[in-house]
Amino acid sequence: MDRRKFLHYGAAAGALFGTARINPGFFFSSAHAQAARPLVFLSAENITGNWDPTAHTTLSQTNIEGFVMGYLTRAPMRPDAPDEVVHELATEITELDAHRLQIKLREGVTFHDGKPFKAEDVKATFEYGALPDRPKQVYPGPTDTFEVTTPDDYTVIVDTSKGGYGASLFIFLASYLPILSATDVAAGPNGPLSQRLNGTGPFKFVEQRGNDTVMEAFPDYFRGAPKVPGVTFSFVGDATTRMLSLMNGQADVIERLEPEQVETLQAEEGIKLSRLVSVENKYLWFRCSKPPFDNPLLRKAAAHAIDRSMIMEIMGTAGEASANFISPIKFGYFDIPDYPEYDPEECQRLLAEAGYPGGQGLPELEYITSTGFYPKTKEYGELITALLQEQGFPVTLNVMEVAAWNERLYDRPGGGPGHMVDCGWSTGSPEPDLVLRTHFHSTSKRICGIEDPELDAALDEERNAPSMEARKQSLQGNLMPMLADKVPALSLFTSVLIHGMRAEVEGLFIYPDGQSDAATATLA
Amino acid sequence: MFILRFLARRLFQGAIIVFLVSALIFTLLRVVPGDPVRLMAGGMAPEALIEQIATDMGLRDPIWQQFGRYIGGVVQGDLGQSFVRPANGAAVGGASFDDTTRSERAEVLTLIADTAPMTLQLALLAMGFALVIAVPIGVWGGLRPGGWPDRMALYLSSLFVSLPNFWLGIVLALVLSVKLQLMPAIGYKGFAYAILPALVLAIEIAPFLIRTLTVSVAGVMGQNFIDIARVRGLTRDQIVFRHALKNSSIPLLNLIGVQFSMLLGGVLVIEFIFDYPGLGLLTINAVMQRDFPLIQGIAIVTAAAFVLINIVVDLVATTIDPRLEY
Repeated sequence: MDRRKFLHYGAAAGALFGTARINPGFFFSSAHAQAARPLVFLSAENITGNWDPTAHTTLSQTNIEGFVMGYLTRAPMRPDAPDEVVHELATEITELDAHRLQIKLREGVTFHDGKPFKAEDVKATFEYGALPDRPKQVYPGPTDTFEVTTPDDYTVIVDTSKGGYGASLFIFLASYLPILSATDVAAGPNGPLSQRLNGTGPFKFVEQRGNDTVMEAFPDYFRGAPKVPGVTFSFVGDATTRMLSLMNGQADVIERLEPEQVETLQAEEGIKLSRLVSVENKYLWFRCSKPPFDNPLLRKAAAHAIDRSMIMEIMGTAGEASANFISPIKFGYFDIPDYPEYDPEECQRLLAEAGYPGGQGLPELEYITSTGFYPKTKEYGELITALLQEQGFPVTLNVMEVAAWNERLYDRPGGGPGHMVDCGWSTGSPEPDLVLRTHFHSTSKRICGIEDPELDAALDEERNAPSMEARKQSLQGNLMPMLADKVPALSLFTSVLIHGMRAEVEGLFIYPDGQSDAATATLA
Repeated sequence: MFILRFLARRLFQGAIIVFLVSALIFTLLRVVPGDPVRLMAGGMAPEALIEQIATDMGLRDPIWQQFGRYIGGVVQGDLGQSFVRPANGAAVGGASFDDTTRSERAEVLTLIADTAPMTLQLALLAMGFALVIAVPIGVWGGLRPGGWPDRMALYLSSLFVSLPNFWLGIVLALVLSVKLQLMPAIGYKGFAYAILPALVLAIEIAPFLIRTLTVSVAGVMGQNFIDIARVRGLTRDQIVFRHALKNSSIPLLNLIGVQFSMLLGGVLVIEFIFDYPGLGLLTINAVMQRDFPLIQGIAIVTAAAFVLINIVVDLVATTIDPRLEY
């Protein structure tokens, strides 16, 4: 055989193999010619490899859970009624006394795998979700601080006497943790919980196909079968790509619009925007467990070096000014009177008091931020860096893509990487402890790594308050001013969630944490 | 027997190249900053756990030992498992240290096998488009050296080569997909989704093909056998299409082989912009996530593809011009 023959035979074999694989529809399928089609949602963040809702704090995956999972209550958290609670799987929540809460459950609800929803599922979820080893710790205390009893299949009683805190804390939390099937929970964290989502929500999890999470309408959903046949939730890393997808009709909803994109899309026919003051604040987290920011004087000095009004100019429509460690739509919010403001003189005074006059003697500081997920992080990161340098802080900004930033985000023994980190924290409930206790109690201290007995005591005091009013007083009179004084993190502003959607998308309700309710959504 | 000797020699050379590329990539990945175990175990993992996982996986062994184990697997067709991707292939973000429940990790070979045909389709389509653009312009320019077609070929090449591909991608998506609604642009649900990214890639590589064709056609048209063909009474079309083009295509063919390597670089940006689920997007995500086994696997497969493309190019060239010997 010579080279020519070899080549000819090779080409013929290749052509034969290729022809056999051709699907004629492959050439003609179009994105614009589908009738009943799923709602396409493009996300700015990738998911984790584990479907257990208690195993992560990743927003995009929480958003997927919003389509699939059921919640006892939902909290719309609109600014005019931040404390409003809408009953879903629960029909009635009653405080029997300070330490006992009775939850009546909806009957006739089934999980996507066919299991009927009962009190045992709520009990299993509460007890599992509060285990100290679950990464998403959601309840006021670990499992051994409360007791859940089920007098009948549709009644749950939560007793917090052992923990000494009010059972009312479970009211807001009921809208945060999705209800898992007791059968799934019984199989443990290595069981089906991690392999797929199984909920009582309007859409059923079908599969993860590459970066697409495929969900289909659940016909037996207790509020009625959804109007759209399904939801496809896709991770698309590039913001421009997401915007182009929305503009050409391939995507129905996109999230986390940049301010410039808002301007572009406002001028587009067929596109509408949703702007919501979110439940998320953006923070500059100090690594409090290692020098130099283990010194509160330095943290405060840094906080006084930052002009937040300039950050607001950069953020434009994507940010809302606030002066607290929680969002204005959370329970207990008020503008803390002594919240650190831009004050170069005070900054210099504190630097001198800390033993670093004019910043002299400070080690090189690394400020870690991400780009591609949160809007404008790089831009205001550069501003903060310049402002800190102006006061003598030897800061270097390190802008990373999301995965690398995520890797460096959390506290570690001896202090996490870098000295300051940019990150937001969003929890779909008015409950303030989902932020405050998660980050500032020494048992959790997710990012800043602070261990401070005074803060622990203040957090316990507000949690153990006998009534909601007493709790608000404790939050506003003790904990929040203390946080403003110790500044384990500086809350920069409250995020505004801006979603872009096609004009034909009707009835999609977006929660301030980014979750959506598409149960009644239509694509006209 | 020549073909067997030729293939044996070239494949042996190719294996050495692939081995060297693997060794280089493997070493470089282990000296750059960024601990993949931290990504695997999650941000909240304590150092002791990180070290334990790293030790269990052999990631704290000397690099040559790690490489030895790895290449042993590669020889048996095992490119390893992704550090971070689950078996469903999703690009993933952070997880938590005590999260022992992450689903089974994806096989590198499966991830590459799923995405490589997508990129191959894109590359072939782009090359087809590039030839459709370049051949008429280049041949016409070569037939009239110094004339306005030649100048136009030069200007067009300069224009095409000056357009940044990410910019062109966005503009074309905006015009052809958003404004004119002619075709879809983002993601992949069918062949139509490959057209726009292929067009952008084609415009990126067309200038090189145009210049090569212009020069080579002009060169061939000045040779004796063309003059003789005229004396033989052949028409201009016969001279151009039967003789000149065939002889001009040898440098073009070699260039196409090289351009495929450019294409594989170009797809990184283009697949990211168009969210096209090919090797380019896979590579970008793998690099961002420090997914060492995946990066290594892609590097080996890509290197092997270059080697094979070059062998095919040489074979095709000898078919067109039997005087060539390799």
